[in-house]
Amino acid sequence: MSEAQRIDDELWELPVGTVPGMRVPARVFADAELLAAIEQDRSLEQLANVATLPGIVDAALAMPDIHQGYGFPVGGVAATDASEGVISPGGVGYDINCGVRLLALPLEYDELFGDRRERLVHELSRNVPVGTGGKGAHEGLKGANLERVLSLGPRALLEDLGIGSDEELSFTESGGCLDNADPAAVSARARHRGANQIGTLGSGNHFLELQRVEAIYEADAADAFGLRLGQLTVLIHSGSRGLGHQVCTDFVKRMDERLGHYGIELPDRQLSCAPIDSPEGQDYLKAMAAAANFAWANRAALAHRVREAVGSVLGSDAARNTKTVYDVAHNVAKLEEHAGGTVCVHRKGATRAFPPGHPEIPAGYARSGQPVFIPGSMGTASYVLAGRPGAMDRSFGTTCHGAGRRMSRTAVRKAIDGGQLRRRLEASGIVVRALSARGLAEEAPEAYKDVDRVVEIVERAGLAARVARLRPVGVVKG
Amino acid sequence: MYRWVDHTAEVELEIEAASEREVLEEAVRALAELLGIETARGDERRTISLQASDRPALLAAWIEELAFLAESEGFVATHVIDADLRPAALKATVTGVLDEPPPLVKAVTYHRMTFEPSGDGYLARVILDV
Repeated sequence: MSEAQRIDDELWELPVGTVPGMRVPARVFADAELLAAIEQDRSLEQLANVATLPGIVDAALAMPDIHQGYGFPVGGVAATDASEGVISPGGVGYDINCGVRLLALPLEYDELFGDRRERLVHELSRNVPVGTGGKGAHEGLKGANLERVLSLGPRALLEDLGIGSDEELSFTESGGCLDNADPAAVSARARHRGANQIGTLGSGNHFLELQRVEAIYEADAADAFGLRLGQLTVLIHSGSRGLGHQVCTDFVKRMDERLGHYGIELPDRQLSCAPIDSPEGQDYLKAMAAAANFAWANRAALAHRVREAVGSVLGSDAARNTKTVYDVAHNVAKLEEHAGGTVCVHRKGATRAFPPGHPEIPAGYARSGQPVFIPGSMGTASYVLAGRPGAMDRSFGTTCHGAGRRMSRTAVRKAIDGGQLRRRLEASGIVVRALSARGLAEEAPEAYKDVDRVVEIVERAGLAARVARLRPVGVVKG
Repeated sequence: MYRWVDHTAEVELEIEAASEREVLEEAVRALAELLGIETARGDERRTISLQASDRPALLAAWIEELAFLAESEGFVATHVIDADLRPAALKATVTGVLDEPPPLVKAVTYHRMTFEPSGDGYLARVILDV
């Protein structure tokens, strides 16, 4: 699909009519080079299909890290009118509230002398269960009450197990709890799949990374976030595990069966949706909120396990003073106010990026803007960004979420040997602990687009600003 | 006959078969291969009952059920003993083995899903999130 028309230096548009049934245009933030890479898969066709959703407003949007997904592209944003629009589980994705949490350690990289770095990465890998299934997938926190986690998110872990703190909750998007969550809307199968997975990392592109701050771009914002040059950080990337996948599966099927009843025609059944105010729409929002709360609790539990590892290698003071910078979702749907109206913003592989002064960001970050974390790939840099006013004007308060995949898992496995990749990463100063060479190969740097360019585009477009760049020094992968 | 097709996001299963029942059987074999289980006949037996709106949705539900049995019980189906396929329902008995399969299949998507007559037989396609 090559009908994209240039709007300005960072924005391209597929006009209404590009695919039948489009109600609004489809727009992608990119430069010419990234657009050429994006056009290598079917993601723009998928974005145009999203523009057919009933009640979609303004445009179907895509971030520069867009790549082909199921129904919705990854990196897509769709806002639907709260009273006349639909909610689509595929617009959130299977891994509900997949997201990232950044921890700042009270130590500098230079303090990891001798074998301390290797010991720390090893201890992180010992203490954080990884993998999709098997033992590592079911070593969830003992004593965690699933019902309360679904209702309250990480607050349940704080109140029941003393994990986390009120300060940490305040540095979590939405305080770590969507209050319309209803555990009763979550199926028995979804509960079964998630029951023992609170505090487990998962597999695929989920990881835990030990990093050092190698560049600061905005000193005031970095200071507000508690980041300084040379400091150690840990980035946690995980989501709602099997529970979230099952919630999405359940509601794609249920809404698909009711499309005829609501007179909805779609170009792809994975776009399955229902009016927001319908029983199906309301039940999904309750179940999705519960799964989102589960994911925030999961990342809080993972942070707890990271602190335990830090304590065991670097001492209890280091563990106690390891702070959560922020925790942000990149797969979620929320009712928000934009341009004077209430819309349901679907973000699938896209991150909320509210600007300075927005009432929903912590008081301590009021002048800097909401922190956003953009993981690169293993071996490349990750970025800390801050939301900017352009996001409210142009993208429903949203920016990108990563580098964006450019090679399929199969293709990269054929091209990259996991063992060689491990040696290459270690030769470049990155300690690697991975469950399998195959899983490691699938996430090779070559499989992803250039994160520097992706971040440059969202900054030029005014969606977010660079605050710091983080260089990996250790990776733990499922 | 089944084959795994490369897909940017995850993996796509494509099945060509002479009958609808054979499509279901090929799906069982493909999933067993994906989970690393040889399709030798096992003694374990399970009955599966499903409802879905049409053939493609039934196939998705079938694979989802097989994947859930593998994830939750370690049961990997290898053979279909009988299958009663109705317009919007399926009841089947499968045999298989108890093992420790990697629960690779996170979800069965509806993206570009098909299950329809093709030539002298049937063509089915489903994309799995793994």
